[in-house]
Amino acid sequence: MENLLVIAVGAIFVNNFVLSRFLGLCPFFGVSRKTSGAIGMGLAVIIVMTCASAITWPIYTYLLSTFNIEFMEIVTFILVIATFVQLVEMVIRKYQPDLYGVLGIYLPLITTNCAVMGVALLNVEEGYSFIGSVVDGFSAGIGFTLALLLMSGIRERLEFANVPKSFQDLPIAFVSAALLALAFMAFSGMRL
Amino acid sequence: MGEELKRIVGIAIPLIIICIISGAALTASYDLTKGRIEAVEQQRINESLSIIFPGASFTETDDYYSATVSGEEIGYAFIAEGKGYSGTIKTMVGMYKNGTISGVNIISQSETPGLGTRIAEPDFTNQFSGKRIEDVRLRGDGGVIDAITGATISSHAITDIVRERAEVVMNETR
Amino acid sequence: MKLDELTKGVFKQNPIFYLMLGLCPVLAVSTRVDNALGMGLCVFFVLVGSNVIISIFKHRIPSQVRIPCFIVVIASFVTIVDLLMHGYAPELHERLGIYLPLIVVNCIILGRAEAFASRKSVFHSFLDGVGMSIGFMLGIVGIAICREALSTGKIAIFDCTIVPTFTQSPSVMMTLPPGAFLTIGIIMALINYKNIRKEGR
Repeated sequence: MENLLVIAVGAIFVNNFVLSRFLGLCPFFGVSRKTSGAIGMGLAVIIVMTCASAITWPIYTYLLSTFNIEFMEIVTFILVIATFVQLVEMVIRKYQPDLYGVLGIYLPLITTNCAVMGVALLNVEEGYSFIGSVVDGFSAGIGFTLALLLMSGIRERLEFANVPKSFQDLPIAFVSAALLALAFMAFSGMRL
Repeated sequence: MGEELKRIVGIAIPLIIICIISGAALTASYDLTKGRIEAVEQQRINESLSIIFPGASFTETDDYYSATVSGEEIGYAFIAEGKGYSGTIKTMVGMYKNGTISGVNIISQSETPGLGTRIAEPDFTNQFSGKRIEDVRLRGDGGVIDAITGATISSHAITDIVRERAEVVMNETR
Repeated sequence: MKLDELTKGVFKQNPIFYLMLGLCPVLAVSTRVDNALGMGLCVFFVLVGSNVIISIFKHRIPSQVRIPCFIVVIASFVTIVDLLMHGYAPELHERLGIYLPLIVVNCIILGRAEAFASRKSVFHSFLDGVGMSIGFMLGIVGIAICREALSTGKIAIFDCTIVPTFTQSPSVMMTLPPGAFLTIGIIMALINYKNIRKEGR
């Protein structure tokens, strides 16, 4: 039985998906201009990553390994994730129009978010149990949201800063991300 | 209803055909590369074996390889695996019958380039040779292995992986 | 005109620096030049292959399910590359690790399939794929050169030294995540600087 706390702390801080594994960078720079957008995106990612972990685990364990077709992993996972995201979008649009207003524009972006596919592949690689995978997916989503929120806070302030012309917008965002990643490196000293 | 069904089938069939073609193509390429992949992995294991027990011949048992030199069993070789700083470290370990390590050879690892990857270099792995199992710890933990500067976590991981597995094999063979 | 399809991906619409696509593998794998070259080649194969296949079948794919169809085609190419690499370049396969299967969610590839290959002719799509992947490769190798040089003090491709050791005190940080963000940030600022000066003239 793996230690769930170790998995959670590992996914949120030590191996933060964005700042240490470089997964999910497109939305990280794309929607971190405003804190409100960051919250919506973060929520959507947490939901999708948790559910994607929960769905891909039984598929890998009971379908792919049973029939020795692990090499179909990539095709199966991406199709399942893409279908699932579409399904979530339709369900939310029909039953929770308010929530759809918040998450709607971010959901389609998630299909090609490597963080979601990444967490599914990593769960297999690490050999986590079902519970472990779900905890890993959820914590990785939290870690992503944390990084996104920190980043959007920094960028909102940068708007009022006197940034050299050639560094404006994205370049300075990357440099800020470097400093943020440097801060997160402190967690890598933790021995779990 | 009939029209609706026709529409859905019309959309679904191309997707199904593509999936079938893709499945067939993948199975074919899997079968083509399978032999090669297994051969490469076996070759890597043989290389490691000959590094840690030069000149010995090996017989595979369930859990480890028994190394013999001119008919006499001198020790065991086994694969130890565990979590490193980033990803899994897989290593071949050789151990004499008296519980001394004969050698360590890293089979695969994905540590930070330039830092953690140095655990695979002979300068580091040679330290293990001739050490007793219980001494395979970093100096700070009461052992005799020097950690790599800037890669303490990787160094710590590899000593733990080697020691824990060696203890298990030692108990099994006793 | 045709040459334009090829060169736009390399310079004018460089996928990394202008379109900001496919950043994840760029930052993760650019720790060493040989890893970057390997990743560049894999992306080349997948992008050109899927661009060609998709543009061949573009009229037979119903628009409602085009995205799943594209994804299956791309994922198949990625799996084939993964299997081939495992068999013929096991060490590189090991080092690229999880980022090799993640090519499937690389936004460049799905983006090109959707924006280009599903509309244009086979030949144009082929050229577009080649141009875009060369642009991608230039970007990732460029970043890798900066990072490897600064973090190890030399550049070596597959154990063959290209640039001999020029400093005894390299900065290890460049091989770690902060170095990746810093490098790409500064390169983008330099490109901006160049563009701003051009406009000013």
